[in-house]
Amino acid sequence: MRLYNFLCKKVGDLTVKYSNLPESYIKRSYEQVYWKNPKGYPQYPAAQVARKKFRFTTNRPWTMQFARQNERTKLNKKVFLEPVGEWSVFKGDRVEILVGKDKGKQGIVSQVIQERNWVVVEGLNTHLRVVGKDKDFPGITIQSEAPLLVTTGVKLVDPETLKPTEVEWRYTEEGDKVRVSLSSSRIIPLPKAAEETFDYKSKELYVENPAKDTVAADATKITFEPKLCTFEMDIMESMGIKEDRVPAKSYWY
Amino acid sequence: MSKTTSLFNLIIKRNISVTTPREGKRNFRKFVIPNKRGSRLHKQNQASPNPELEIDKRGVRDIGYVLNGRFVKVPEMIPELIVPDLTGCDLKPYVSYKAEDVIQSEFTAQQLFDAVYSRKIVTDFKQNKLTEDGEPLEPSDEEKLQPEEAVHRAKRTGSDIF
Repeated sequence: MRLYNFLCKKVGDLTVKYSNLPESYIKRSYEQVYWKNPKGYPQYPAAQVARKKFRFTTNRPWTMQFARQNERTKLNKKVFLEPVGEWSVFKGDRVEILVGKDKGKQGIVSQVIQERNWVVVEGLNTHLRVVGKDKDFPGITIQSEAPLLVTTGVKLVDPETLKPTEVEWRYTEEGDKVRVSLSSSRIIPLPKAAEETFDYKSKELYVENPAKDTVAADATKITFEPKLCTFEMDIMESMGIKEDRVPAKSYWY
Repeated sequence: MSKTTSLFNLIIKRNISVTTPREGKRNFRKFVIPNKRGSRLHKQNQASPNPELEIDKRGVRDIGYVLNGRFVKVPEMIPELIVPDLTGCDLKPYVSYKAEDVIQSEFTAQQLFDAVYSRKIVTDFKQNKLTEDGEPLEPSDEEKLQPEEAVHRAKRTGSDIF
């Protein structure tokens, strides 16, 4: 069970943050448990038979396309990933491409897929694909970007010299963790687009649903008055419930 | 000749089989037999007053107890959901993302004592309404509380001590 849980921690932090969904929901949406021992019986250990190896692609783990790619009968070759210690490239960062036909060009990151160490740069490293080709219909040609590896294909760009640099995470005097370019010791700030999620582009721009969302002012209002009674007693007082019976005396031996 | 035969007897010719403990118990006694499983006789036995296995209640708790073969329903054991009137309540099911985290210090027992008793103690002291021991001459309701009454209150409905 512990091994299974360890193997399950494959969905990246950035994916969880972007989705704005609880981590337990994401795990529940892509896991495929085939058999679980019944709970509450000490003779049966907490063992389960489930799928351990998933194929992560540009399709997010909670989507239907991901489920179709990871059906029970589908087996894929193992993808070898270089473990990146601290993730340095975020959505909205300016990066320079080092490989491929767009080598040397700079672009802005539009998508980050941590599970494969991928980064999709807007409008660069593209190829053409034909969609909806029919017998009579010639199909629509679309230019789509191919993902690039964070480790070898892409490098962050210094904000002032606009040259590709190596980046390190360091602490400022105030205690904030920032990215510092090693060539010129300049701080590369986190882009505004990095705090985007499925629900909002940034927290200030979130549009509240008046029927279901508590307004910020109401949520942070302090209405507590210290009283010498428990929560249940307070409710009984406010609802007019009177209960004077005392339970019979009991003894412990 | 006899020496070689006796030596031959000392050679281990048969090993102890370790297959069973290695592969694990293949047939154990404690199979789970829920309410619908089992043979006709087993289910009849379960339905009788003396079942062999504990009846699986599926997480539902009894609302009484069995006395002299009859089930006695206790109305206090029936769960009652107390839902206050929510008209005029501004709080909704979800919190907007614009709301910042509220960080408050812990509300300790000392602070509760100060809120409930400290004011009266200070006014009594200033008006000299305290005796030599420090007991109040005109105690309020909270100050009149005795240990027996406190124990009764802790046992009544509304207490949070279980």
